Amino acid sequence: MKKFVNDPQQFVPEMLKGLALANPDTLKYVPEYNLIMRADAPRADKVSIVQGSGSGHEPAHVMAVGPGMLDAACPGDVFAAPPMDYVYETTKLLNSPKGVLLLVNNYTGDRMAFDMAQELSLADGVNVKTLFIDDDVAVKDSTWTVGRRGVAGNFFVIKAVGAAAEAGADLDELMRIGEKVVSVTRSMGLALTACTPPAKGAPLFELGDDEIEIGVGIHGEPGRRRAKIVPANELVDILLEPVVADLPYVSGDRVALMVNGLGGTPISELYLVYGIAHEKLAAQGITVARSYVGEYCTSLDMAGASITLVKLDDEIEGLLAAPAEIGARIF
Amino acid sequence: MTSLNDTEFIVRTIAQTAVDNEKYFGDLDSVVGDGDFGFSLARGFEIVLKDWDSYDRTDIGTFLQKVGITITGRIGGTSGPIWGTAFLRSAAVAKGRGDELGGADAVTMLRSAIEGIMARGGASLGDKTLLDALAPLTDAIEQGVANGDGGAAVMASAAASARAAADATTPMIAKRGRAAYTGERSIGSPDAGAVAVAVIAEALASSWGAKDDASSASESPGSDSPNSDYAI
Repeated sequence: MKKFVNDPQQFVPEMLKGLALANPDTLKYVPEYNLIMRADAPRADKVSIVQGSGSGHEPAHVMAVGPGMLDAACPGDVFAAPPMDYVYETTKLLNSPKGVLLLVNNYTGDRMAFDMAQELSLADGVNVKTLFIDDDVAVKDSTWTVGRRGVAGNFFVIKAVGAAAEAGADLDELMRIGEKVVSVTRSMGLALTACTPPAKGAPLFELGDDEIEIGVGIHGEPGRRRAKIVPANELVDILLEPVVADLPYVSGDRVALMVNGLGGTPISELYLVYGIAHEKLAAQGITVARSYVGEYCTSLDMAGASITLVKLDDEIEGLLAAPAEIGARIF
Repeated sequence: MTSLNDTEFIVRTIAQTAVDNEKYFGDLDSVVGDGDFGFSLARGFEIVLKDWDSYDRTDIGTFLQKVGITITGRIGGTSGPIWGTAFLRSAAVAKGRGDELGGADAVTMLRSAIEGIMARGGASLGDKTLLDALAPLTDAIEQGVANGDGGAAVMASAAASARAAADATTPMIAKRGRAAYTGERSIGSPDAGAVAVAVIAEALASSWGAKDDASSASESPGSDSPNSDYAI
């Protein structure tokens, strides 16, 4: 597999160095802890918002650092939760008088690392709370796991609490807003190809030319089932129906609709998917009030897409509409 | 032969085996997981080997605690919290007990490690995790100690138990970790963590005799009793 890579062990540090060099005025890179933070963080007048998780999901989460979004991101290696020390040191570095909010996608390793780091930080007197994000409906049946996974819906949580934090909300208020967004956000993804982690150098699973993997997460792990490829109209049904049914979203709802690329799908295909999904929702009486098309939370070079819906109320819609600026941009 | 020497030998063998098997463990994990297990474990135990000489060796408990802190703090993924907790829980049992522990102590330390892993990961036996190899391994050691077997014989039996138990995870359905998200599709391949336990136990068993030979050759005659307890 051909990739831009030197040493797989240096893949993440070299990516982070590039990100920092591209944003010299706004971002700071702390190589000791893989940490990307706003150059002006922590600020005494706002809660610090920190997201951690494995790498390989870019622009989540290291490229979502900026005004109105994250104050810092603390990534692990590709698809691996960050080591506990990194989270602990990040929490201390981002300590603000208003506190620190840790946003964590719901996976076993991330939960353990952040739980332990939070324990140590609290003992140090840091006012820190943790919010777990679990929007993936593909694994709703896995009641024996730590629960559903967090996938692309995490972007809406970051956006909402980021906006509220920028406006001066305190830590308890941010927890309330974050939990509310999580409670109305649902996602579902499918893969057309597997992805290739640099350390492995080969696809994580084999898919036939005519096969798709349904219900994938964002770590290249296989999904719930495999099926034959069908036309885009039916692929959108595969993604949209379980999402709409899970909350459920019903006629009369206003929603944000995100079509997220998993890293290897052209934007043209994502807009095609978006158009179909938008019309299918309209046919059910669900109004798309805000639209998001592109790559938000990827799985390296996996071809595929996920659909996320957020049920909007005035508060959430206002927070999603607030200005924000991040390092990943196209102009 | 002192138990601290044995402990160092065991920890070094675990670390080296993890580093040597990075690709194998990663491939196992990628069948239903996300393939990061081998990479995470190898990167962490590389740090243990690099920092090897700096660890406080006041007694076995202190040494294991220092190793556990490195693993817990510096290994990413699920491996750091899980494997680090095992070392820290073993250390807590050994703490303040000097550097002469016997087989029964080793069993207590392993039982404590198993309880720690269960608490940290919320896992039970039968969930298709490394616990499914670690518990039978511990049972085998307990039996060997009760029989009065020598260290090499105990390790050989422990390795055989761990291997059989790791193989027996193949038909299980994963209930913890990323493999759990694939539900029934996790059936048909062994758990990567359980296999890692078996591979490490086999490495310990195969080098245990050589360790004792080297140890007796380097120490004064008679210091190494053939009946001496193996350490942890």
